[in-house]
Amino acid sequence: MKEIIHNVFIIEREGKEILATKSKYGSHYGERKIGEFREWIPSRSKLAAMILKGHIIDIKPDWKVLYLGAASGTTVSHLADIVDEGIIYAVEYSAKPFVKFLQLAEERRNIIPLLEDASTPWKYNGIVEKVDFIYQDIAQKNQIEIFFANIDMFLKDGGEGVIMVKARSIDSTAEPEVVFDRVVEELGEKLEVLAHGSLEPFHKDHIYVHVRKTK
Amino acid sequence: MKWNVWFGEVVEEDGKLIAKKSNDLVESFKNASNPEALPFNLPEVGLQVFESLEDYYKTLRKIALKVTSEKVERELKREDRYVILLLKALDKLNESINMLEEKLRDIEEVKISDTTEDFRERIEELKRLRRRIEKEIEDVITKIAPNLTEIAGAVIAARLLEKAGSLERLAFLPASKIQILGAEKSLYKALARMRRGKPAKTPKHGIIFIHPFIRTLPKRKRGRMARFMAAKLAIAAKLDYFKGELDENLAESVRKKYEELRREKDKPKKEESKQEPKEEKPKKKKKKPKHR
Ligand SMILES: C[S@@+](CC[C@H](N)C(=O)[O-])C[C@H]1O[C@@H](n2cnc3c(N)ncnc32)[C@H](O)[C@@H]1O
Repeated sequence: MKEIIHNVFIIEREGKEILATKSKYGSHYGERKIGEFREWIPSRSKLAAMILKGHIIDIKPDWKVLYLGAASGTTVSHLADIVDEGIIYAVEYSAKPFVKFLQLAEERRNIIPLLEDASTPWKYNGIVEKVDFIYQDIAQKNQIEIFFANIDMFLKDGGEGVIMVKARSIDSTAEPEVVFDRVVEELGEKLEVLAHGSLEPFHKDHIYVHVRKTK
Repeated sequence: MKWNVWFGEVVEEDGKLIAKKSNDLVESFKNASNPEALPFNLPEVGLQVFESLEDYYKTLRKIALKVTSEKVERELKREDRYVILLLKALDKLNESINMLEEKLRDIEEVKISDTTEDFRERIEELKRLRRRIEKEIEDVITKIAPNLTEIAGAVIAARLLEKAGSLERLAFLPASKIQILGAEKSLYKALARMRRGKPAKTPKHGIIFIHPFIRTLPKRKRGRMARFMAAKLAIAAKLDYFKGELDENLAESVRKKYEELRREKDKPKKEESKQEPKEEKPKKKKKKPKHR
């Protein structure tokens, strides 16, 4: 058993190594509860996939996080285990998956749910504070523009961000590789690109890009 | 300067930031919008009116939960209705634009004047409105029915919703119904003909027929594609209604099926006609040509 990020462990289970977060809470999306751990399933959560692909971000327990595209809270539930002294501002614009998300937000002290459109960040600009980390997984054509707009408004200087990109959402006709090159280049124009890589085989034609806001 | 923040207001007086707490936090939370990044950090300034950070976050969380749950409930009830009504309005708008353009052309053939120019401008305005409505429909349908939209595209997804009457009704329709949704008229006509003992073809596809994956296939393969797509759309509608989350595998399987059917084209003709009746119901298939 090895702790790779605060409250994130690689544990042994039936001879296999699996990713899990240490959690006081029960299962949220059907993941297994193993003792005090909740299995973190990479095919369900792109952040878990990124970690298992070997890219580890040292998320601190007291980080303030802005999460765009929270859906029903699969990934947020694990992130909330990690930032157990921090706060997650979770933005999602679709009401349906947010019904389940609200159950999570009710039980966790560190989640602020916001039913808002991430492309209009000024609408929650009197609610969300300056954050250490922005995570975005919204699969939208203009998702980079949206990422920038939120970074401009909320990310501290020196703060970090992760954006998950699905090739087909950006351009359904171009080759994924071409789309990804373009995306990384575009992000690099405004931010420092710390790392990027594919999420295969967990998520087909997806990449993560890890960035930092520099002054 | 003055900023609207969730707990009330922050004002700048003599170079100092002063927090003012609202006595209706729900209201101030809803109005907490500012066009530019705040030049201060919220919880720090908030400490002027809250006892502690713990108090600050506890209150924020309570209000956020309350406002968000109410908003979720309101949205769930209304958004499919909104799309349907927009779509109906769009149809009327289209009719109007066509009709007005026709009238304008008639007038212009006789005389072009300031009045006809003004007329044309108004029509252009209506066209801008039309684009706006189309965009709004697309935005909302993508949000409330991500799976249907991923498979069928925004236009067909919205039409399916309209024909079914609500997302709930669509979620409970069997695939066979979804397949012919929008072709009810020709179905009734066909049934009526049959009742009179006349030959008739029942429609194989309704609104989904305009999907490029069906339209671009040769005629003999369209039925199979329509059936497959309808089956996936039936699942998509349930997912959208009950969960509202996108399952990418669904649309992927439709794409794969299309590729598969398209590639089949390359096979020699003989083999094709031998194969097909096996998959379809041979009886029906053979009969049809006779009536044509
Ligand atoms: C792939 S899912 C996110 C899954 C989630 N990150 C997880 O791992 O648990 C994408 C979500 O982004 C939401 N979304 C898309 N565009 C958005 C926008 N402009 N603002 C807010 N949410 C958006 C969708 O409704 C959907 O729920």
